[in-house]
Amino acid sequence: MTTLEHQVGSHPIPNPQKSLITKLHMGTGLVVGAIFAFGTYYWLRSGQDMTVARNVNKVLLISMFMWSFGFMIGIGAFIGPFRWLIGKDLTAEEQLFLAGEGQGVSRYFRYCTDHKVVGIQYLVGVMAMLGVGGTLAMMIRTNLISPGSKFVTPVIYNSLVGLHGITMIVAMIVVSTGPFGNFILPIMIGARDMAFPRLNALSWWVLFTAIPVLCSAWFLGGIPTGWTAYAPLSVQAGPGMNAFVATIIIFAISTAVAGANITATVVTMRAKGMKWNRVPIFVIGATMSVALAIPAFPTFMVSMIMTALDRTAGTTYFDANFGGSGWLYAHLFWIMGHPEVYVILLPGVAILMEVAPVFVRKPLFSYNAAILGFAGISGLSVLVWAHHMYIAGWLPMLNGPFMVTTEMISIPTGLIFLVVLGTLWRGKPWMKLPMLSVYAFLWNMLIGGVTGVYLSDVPADNYLHGSMYVTAHFHYTLMGAALTGAIAGLAYWFPKMTGRMLHERAGYIAFWCTQIGFQILFLGMFISGAGGQPRRVADFAAVYRNSDRISTFGAYLVGIGMLTLLWAVVHSWIKGDIAPKNPWGAKTLEWTVPFPVPLENFDEAPIITSDPYGYGRSEK
Amino acid sequence: MSSHDHEVEEVLPPTPGDRVITFLKRKDVVQSFVLGIFFTLVFVVLGRSFYPKWMPTIMSTDMKANEGLMVAFTYISAPVCGLVLGLATYTFLHRHKGDTPPEDGPGIRTNGAVVVVWTVVTSLFALTAILWGLVELNVGSEAAASEARTAMVVEVTGSQWVWTFKYPAQGIETHELNLPIDQPVIFDVISADVNHSFWPVQLGVKVDANRLATTVVHTTPTKLGAIDVKCAELCGLYHAYMETTGQIMTATDFNNWVTAQGGHVA
Repeated sequence: MTTLEHQVGSHPIPNPQKSLITKLHMGTGLVVGAIFAFGTYYWLRSGQDMTVARNVNKVLLISMFMWSFGFMIGIGAFIGPFRWLIGKDLTAEEQLFLAGEGQGVSRYFRYCTDHKVVGIQYLVGVMAMLGVGGTLAMMIRTNLISPGSKFVTPVIYNSLVGLHGITMIVAMIVVSTGPFGNFILPIMIGARDMAFPRLNALSWWVLFTAIPVLCSAWFLGGIPTGWTAYAPLSVQAGPGMNAFVATIIIFAISTAVAGANITATVVTMRAKGMKWNRVPIFVIGATMSVALAIPAFPTFMVSMIMTALDRTAGTTYFDANFGGSGWLYAHLFWIMGHPEVYVILLPGVAILMEVAPVFVRKPLFSYNAAILGFAGISGLSVLVWAHHMYIAGWLPMLNGPFMVTTEMISIPTGLIFLVVLGTLWRGKPWMKLPMLSVYAFLWNMLIGGVTGVYLSDVPADNYLHGSMYVTAHFHYTLMGAALTGAIAGLAYWFPKMTGRMLHERAGYIAFWCTQIGFQILFLGMFISGAGGQPRRVADFAAVYRNSDRISTFGAYLVGIGMLTLLWAVVHSWIKGDIAPKNPWGAKTLEWTVPFPVPLENFDEAPIITSDPYGYGRSEK
Repeated sequence: MSSHDHEVEEVLPPTPGDRVITFLKRKDVVQSFVLGIFFTLVFVVLGRSFYPKWMPTIMSTDMKANEGLMVAFTYISAPVCGLVLGLATYTFLHRHKGDTPPEDGPGIRTNGAVVVVWTVVTSLFALTAILWGLVELNVGSEAAASEARTAMVVEVTGSQWVWTFKYPAQGIETHELNLPIDQPVIFDVISADVNHSFWPVQLGVKVDANRLATTVVHTTPTKLGAIDVKCAELCGLYHAYMETTGQIMTATDFNNWVTAQGGHVA
């Protein structure tokens, strides 16, 4: 958006005359998308024998992609590229309009290029996805309240498990880098916007189009495969599986765009003087996360394209009867799947490292160790995928090497603990919600990490693999650590993003309800798992009655906590106390700009002379 | 945290030995240490009781090794947990109260000795876990090699949503997994359709059932009694119900059962 740069400081109200751009918004996107989707559907099905599963899959998949494409046309995503095709570009006024200048709330429903608008769009979108995923979790736990419970049928139960999984994974991948990576990160590094503002809008709206597609799985008979979508079960599955395949492909496009954008922004747009050792740690963590996603997600996309071809075109990539292999799918999936958990974890941890110095009023302990920890985790995370396949039987002689790489991850993870503990040591932490989350993280990550060591061990995994124990383990890391980090970020940056303080008492109630409920929920699940209850089962033997009931009770407590948090967010957003400019006394750049943050953030480009952790009295 | 000696710079005693002693006498160090010991003991007790209490009866050599390993790993991780929780709890107990930000703490940016000691110690813990696991893995495969000669073969087929067990030497096929005690057994596992995972729970082994690719797992039952066989890989609609039972029997009982099934004693 080079044309914007010389207009900084004096924004005229844009008046792009009768440009088409001013008439397009989410509504037109929905209409065009629906026309494309249903038009394609009825057009294609007329010539097909719709009793053949392969034809149904073909028609549905193409209709889903056309929905996404149509929506993007309808919202105006392609006007700029189209102008380029004919040798023109948007006018300066049109670009200012796209940046949302002077449009109030309506800009949140447009193809808006302002990174702050995109950040808020991500925040609301992620909260909606977490709400859906959480509701599904409550339904899962309700069905498991006692053996033989008939709350839902097995077919619905399997869909609940799969949709809970994939909804949460999608939400958690963007839960920190979406809202905070877009809203806060550019301000933190002193940039006026992201490197590619139009791609920024593209990444959000493409992700948005994946949501209805995923929801449609429910109405197409659900998905029977869990979020791992193992072949050949996924090839055998009914029409709902198409929604899963389409969602992942659309989502992979969104993350690739977002990842490239955030990486380019951080590499090229840091303020003058912000050398790499002065970059706030959240920026480092978020960048490593999205950079790790860039190589990881394409393999998921490829595996889904191959699944789609097996389901529609009669290929047999994953069908052993015709020379294919289910192991091929498992490899492609986990080559994405293991880096992916660190894509989720790193930004959450980085947020907690960002808030700890602020609330302890001490510098971040050993910035270099933090970077080494992140880098070590990122590097090793691409070499460990086959620990998900110890018992798959594909090549048992490689189990040893994969066990070694997996257990080595505990070393950089140890550095993360050192950095957080070193920051706390000899400080007097100010127990606001973000700081409480740091403590919750320490406990949860400890349990998640230690149980991870058991699972990384081949003989122990021979027993534990595929049991509830695994489910409990990864919820401790992904929910207990990463989501806790994201909630800390929400509480911490809420004043900057909304101009209001988060309701403190409701925040505390939500925190304790969620964290205590979480411990109860997954303690029960560890017991069930150690006792031999497989995961993803709609029903279970009577011996697990008590532990499963405990889990369900804990889950309801988490539900109450999350609803309280939702109330706190909505209430505070509408009529919370007006926030001062820098309520926590933090030293990063985002606290130097007023609310509402002006378009292009800074009146004067900041110049950086030190890192943002200059707290503390000198002792020398 | 014996490695915090370099932080005691306000005292600056003459020799490193003195500095260590001064460090160890500091109130925060002592209190964190005591808390750390407490949490270490909690985890040791947890390790002793949790897995033996909640894991099913040990009925094979493998299950015994698994449970022992998990207890041992809990012991290994106990000091790490103790250290982390000790330090965290100490700072939590000495938190700042009030609605205004606290005063700045000491401006400690890093401490080379602490980082090095921490990294070395955690690496040693990781190395212990790695070596332990590798040794167990090796012991397991050596045992398999030596038992293979005398082992009884059971061909396991997973199909949606039934387990079928074929005893080729005995010439029988059933849906319940009965095995003679103290007789090494090899399971050749295969799937008739999608992926399943063969899990005779009390025997402590597990292997996936794949289409057209036989996977192998072996163990030796060591205790008489009932076992549960489950499927540990989501395999579609009735995955939860893809389970059966079996008995670990004396050799005589097993032979009688084989005969009753119409097979011949091998």
